Amino acid sequence: MIATLTEINVQTRPSVVSLRAPTPVDTATDAISDHELMLAVRDGELDALGELFERYHGPLYGFLAKLTGHHAAAEDIAQTVFQRMLKYRHTYRDDGSFTAWMYHLARRCAADHFRKTNSAPAPTDPSDLQNHADEAPDASDRAARRDDHDLLHLALNRLDRDAREVLLLSRFQELSFAEIANILECSAGAAKVRAHRALKELRDIYLALQREGPARN
Amino acid sequence: MNCTRAQENFPNLLDPRTPADAHADDRAHLASCPDCQREYASLARTLSALDRLPAAKPSPRLRAGFYAMLEQEKNSAASVQAAVLRHRRAARVSLWRWILAPLAAGALALGGFFAGTRYAPVPAPAIDPATKRELAELRAKVDGVGQLVGYTFLQQRSANERLQGVLTTLDQKNPDQKILANLVGALALDPSVNVRLSALDALYPHAGEQLVRTGVLASLPREQNPLVQVAMIDFIVAARDRNATPELERMSHNESIDRSVRDAAKRAIAQL
Ligand SMILES: [Zn+2]
Repeated sequence: MIATLTEINVQTRPSVVSLRAPTPVDTATDAISDHELMLAVRDGELDALGELFERYHGPLYGFLAKLTGHHAAAEDIAQTVFQRMLKYRHTYRDDGSFTAWMYHLARRCAADHFRKTNSAPAPTDPSDLQNHADEAPDASDRAARRDDHDLLHLALNRLDRDAREVLLLSRFQELSFAEIANILECSAGAAKVRAHRALKELRDIYLALQREGPARN
Repeated sequence: MNCTRAQENFPNLLDPRTPADAHADDRAHLASCPDCQREYASLARTLSALDRLPAAKPSPRLRAGFYAMLEQEKNSAASVQAAVLRHRRAARVSLWRWILAPLAAGALALGGFFAGTRYAPVPAPAIDPATKRELAELRAKVDGVGQLVGYTFLQQRSANERLQGVLTTLDQKNPDQKILANLVGALALDPSVNVRLSALDALYPHAGEQLVRTGVLASLPREQNPLVQVAMIDFIVAARDRNATPELERMSHNESIDRSVRDAAKRAIAQL
């Protein structure tokens, strides 16, 4: 009789929210692969997702921040990605790759986000997206570098979203082109061509901005 | 080897995943062609700038939000059921161990849920005097809108049968007042958390009915389970039931109530 119970989705609304301290990362789980952890989540060991969160929320957020050009949007989307991992944990496959799956979900969530806000990423102050812990010893050097980062952020923001997405995926992430192609739902060859076209476009915008110099904005 | 062909291969040459000894022809051309070198160098510079772009860091909000969501999912009825199933299937571990572990860890009291499922099938519960008295109180509150609150589902033997009873009402587009009254009764009186949550779900489409609003509000003070309490508060917000404000005020100041519930009550007051 319990078997029939499980087919009934009883709890669908947000219920108890308890903001307790984050679960400490168990060092004993370090050896466990992402894939094994996600299989455990799929089988109902939900705490295993905490370890995956600790491993990946940083890179995922970094990807989304560059993709959207927005802190708050990137956080919202990252949160949704982990939410969907939980919700759709049953669809994770035995032969799956966790990171490929995560970016696949991230792409979907980002697309939903853009559909909802119905806008290209709004241009933000690029310095807003900077990690200010810059390691350059000399202040003017640091400023010059930040300026350069700002230009690149601006250039990235001027690419269209598909181009930015394929370029970021091809560079920032530990993914094979086969996996990237899978995420983008195209062939590996097409993914490569698109990534390269995006790179050339970025280069042209970046160089143009550099020529404009400090008079920009 | 011409420039066009060499440049077509730039994506591979620029890709760190490509082995260093691959595409020897293109590399040879590149070494001897200033035009291709210029093009290659500008692309490589852009890529290296892109790779060095510092990664922004998320605020603490992301982690807090994630763990709150994980906690919520772990406490959801579906997850609890899955956990029960898993533990039954595996090794037939004593259920008691499983029940006690999360309690010790400070998990929510899910006693009602187990009361409803663990011991099924149970004999048809006789309506005890206390329940009768509560039913009478509930009637007194709800009968103001001319409805009799009954609870025929309690005659069912098991939590699952009672749940089925609740769920069949979901198929009805326009359930009559008697059925709604029964659902209110299930929400107020059923010993199983699962059945109470299902009853609340079934009541959602009828949140506009006075009977339903009054019934949920009347059931709120007697509810002990935080899961159901928060679900009821969500319902009240969804129904925009301002009459609930005094009860929510009372709950938000009641220290004996679970903190998540008090927070939900505070949020609800702000929303109403
Ligand atoms: Zn050439």
